[in-house]
Amino acid sequence: MLKERGQLKFEDKWPAMRLIVLKLLRQESVSPAEWQDLFYDVHLVCLWDEKGPSKLKEHLQEDIVQFIKQAQARVLSHREEQALLKAYIAEWRKFFTQCNYLPTPFRQLESSLQGKPATGTANLQTSNNKKGQSEESIVRKLMLDSWNESIFNDIKHRLQESAMKLVHAERNGEAFDSQLVIGVRESYVNLCSSIDDKMQIYRENFEAAYIQSTEMFYKLKGPEQLAANGVQAYMRYADNKLREEEARAQKYLEAGSNAVIQCCVKVLVGNTLPILLAECAPLIKAGETDRLQLMFRLLERVPEGVQPMLTELESHITQAGLADMVAAADIITQDSEKYVERLLELFRKFSMLVHDAFNDDPRFLTARDKAFKAVVNDTTVFKLELNTNKSIGAKSVAPESKCPELLANYCDMLLRRTPLSKRLTSEEIELRLRDVLLVLKYVSNKDVFMRYHKAHLTRRLILDASADSEKEEDMVEWLREVGMPADYVNKLARMFQDIKVSEDLNSQFRVSTTRHDAINIKILNAGAWARGSERVSVSLPVELEDYIPEVEEFYKKKHSGRKLQWYHHMSNGTITFANEVGRFDLDVTTFQMAVLFAWNQRPNEKVSYENLRLATELPDSELRRTLWSLVAFPKLKRQLLVYSPSVTIPKDFTEHTLFWINQEFCLIKNSRPQKRGKINLIGRLQLSTERSQLEDNHSIVQLRILRTQEAIIKILKMRKRITNAALQVELVDILKNMFLPSKKMIKEQLEWLIEHKYMKRDDDDINTFIYMA
Amino acid sequence: MSEEPEPMDTDNQKSEKMFTLKKWNAVAMWSWDVECDTCAICRVQVMDACLRCQAESKKDYYGKQDCVVVWGECNHSFHYCCMSLWVKQNNRCPLCQQEWSIQRMGK
Ligand SMILES: [Zn+2]
Ligand SMILES: [Zn+2]
Ligand SMILES: [Zn+2]
Repeated sequence: MLKERGQLKFEDKWPAMRLIVLKLLRQESVSPAEWQDLFYDVHLVCLWDEKGPSKLKEHLQEDIVQFIKQAQARVLSHREEQALLKAYIAEWRKFFTQCNYLPTPFRQLESSLQGKPATGTANLQTSNNKKGQSEESIVRKLMLDSWNESIFNDIKHRLQESAMKLVHAERNGEAFDSQLVIGVRESYVNLCSSIDDKMQIYRENFEAAYIQSTEMFYKLKGPEQLAANGVQAYMRYADNKLREEEARAQKYLEAGSNAVIQCCVKVLVGNTLPILLAECAPLIKAGETDRLQLMFRLLERVPEGVQPMLTELESHITQAGLADMVAAADIITQDSEKYVERLLELFRKFSMLVHDAFNDDPRFLTARDKAFKAVVNDTTVFKLELNTNKSIGAKSVAPESKCPELLANYCDMLLRRTPLSKRLTSEEIELRLRDVLLVLKYVSNKDVFMRYHKAHLTRRLILDASADSEKEEDMVEWLREVGMPADYVNKLARMFQDIKVSEDLNSQFRVSTTRHDAINIKILNAGAWARGSERVSVSLPVELEDYIPEVEEFYKKKHSGRKLQWYHHMSNGTITFANEVGRFDLDVTTFQMAVLFAWNQRPNEKVSYENLRLATELPDSELRRTLWSLVAFPKLKRQLLVYSPSVTIPKDFTEHTLFWINQEFCLIKNSRPQKRGKINLIGRLQLSTERSQLEDNHSIVQLRILRTQEAIIKILKMRKRITNAALQVELVDILKNMFLPSKKMIKEQLEWLIEHKYMKRDDDDINTFIYMA
Repeated sequence: MSEEPEPMDTDNQKSEKMFTLKKWNAVAMWSWDVECDTCAICRVQVMDACLRCQAESKKDYYGKQDCVVVWGECNHSFHYCCMSLWVKQNNRCPLCQQEWSIQRMGK
């Protein structure tokens, strides 16, 4: 039966082969013998007929195309969309399955067409191993390309359209067989014979159509929803739809591309961005956290969505904060507890907002912090106060927030024995102190806080007025923890150490003498407590004067090389006052004592100002202040001293103003006069004289200048040369825990340092500075 | 004439004073009795601990009482810590070049 070699022709073999090929295409059953025959015949044709391979390919293609044409006719016979899709998917699945079978017998053909010698199977195997058969099979490619060219190109628009109609129906809530859409998509994906980009056909057709129809849908529905239900409902709608589309895309689209969601975002969010953003401020104002969260979720999806929200938040907190402060200006500039509590309430409110609405997103936390900073350092409220209080000497310095001063006052109220600290538990006090530190974080002139805090601490220690000495020392460490400058914190720590040393000394003194039960001494290290402060001379009442030599004698025995200076403006005590009504214990300053004791010799006399000045030898300003505290003590209904003629400020006392003891003085409790009682007339213990207080205000400016100079030199020493811009950055970094140096001050100090040859400008670049050793 | 009440016993008279002292908390500050506030060797104020003492225990050097002042016969004064290091190199006062001998120590 076998023909001679060389005489075997393609035409002889093809009719038999073709029958098997057609059976395969039609998915009819092929017997193992037929299957083997096909292999063998392909082999023979390729081996013996020179033109066999090309003819084989040609005819094969013809039959494949023919088959596809028939399939197409079957598909197109369906007019109804779902039926068409169903038919197509069925035909395609059949065909695609065959794409995996039919190429197998034609491997020999593949090799021949690629010009490879048709030798043993080794070669085939290696090539098989290198790349999967399906990937490089010519026959497979032939099949897929033919399908693509003949049927697919013809009806792909109808397919896509039908599929998209189904998706559209689904969007409108109609149920259908989602497998139809999925089937179409799969055909697009599998159809691609390109190895480089397997998704090409899918992407350019199916996905593109999907995106387009999605866009169309929401371009129509979005504005409809907005118009019909308003912005709030629209945001919920958009949010729901985006999630829905995300789920839908997972079902109908290949993974890996976010294009359709981006498209939805653009249509649903991007296109309405201004309208959505217009809602932001009112929502923040109303504290609508759920809606804000929704808005944040939506706007976070578009590139320029979040920034405007941050701006809104920052300006709202700033404005609301400042409005709050201004509205309560009268109270908060006077009452540090109310001020701090108001601030903290504000902080809590907005921190909660950032937490609830924006999940503590770092961007929103930063916006919040910026706003807090603005509120805390704002001077509006305090400028208002200055206006109503013009008697305060006008300072040339720019107005600063009184926040740090009020914070320090509040700390004092918590740390001193006060009604507030008595009311609170130790834990509550600690929490509030921590709150103070939290606010302090935002304060830019921290040096002002330090100054007031130290002054208050000095008073508490000198008056033994601390509520809890352990908490006092804790506070010092907390200040260290939040980054207050070490030398400052060390100074505070040093005061605690020193007061302990002084307490020991006092015990020793009291042991050394038995007759002086009435005296306690505090002998403190001048370097830690009173550097540069001025003393005030006073003529002590004999009762006090008597103690001085003995204390000095005692101290000389304990120490050598030291000199003692009495700080009578800081010392204080308790005296008993007896009059016709009863007996009262009065806590008074030594100056008040000096004034009051002047009446011991002449209880019922009216004494002139001039006369009191001679008796006490107090400087004018101190005497006026002391007298004022005795004729107009705020807490007293009946004052200790009476005077005439009446004045409104201590300055207006003349030398002839007469003062006398109020023999009707008594304490009033529940509007009933008391015969016994104790009252503290010390008020705020004076730490320095009026003059040095003024100097204090200047000294804070002086200190800033000095710190700025030091820091500039420190930076230049390290860098040797540095640009102005870089210098400013480093400078602010070094000084930020004390104060924020103004541009003007930095400039002035740079000029000063240049003038005094600490540094110079670069000859080639005047914005670069060079260190001069 | 108020003759009768006057010669009452002195205790009673004292208690009849309008103001009587019950307690006095007297405050004084001590400082080294020096002519110059700054130690010429370490350039720190003598009321503060010297540089070395400050560096040795950063946190609680303030509690120390040991960083005292020393006066020379020339009446110049320095931190004792600073001077005792100085004399190892040069037994003269850094300020007046007189031979150093201790006049007194702070306590
Ligand atoms: Zn020294
Ligand atoms: Zn020392
Ligand atoms: Zn000397």
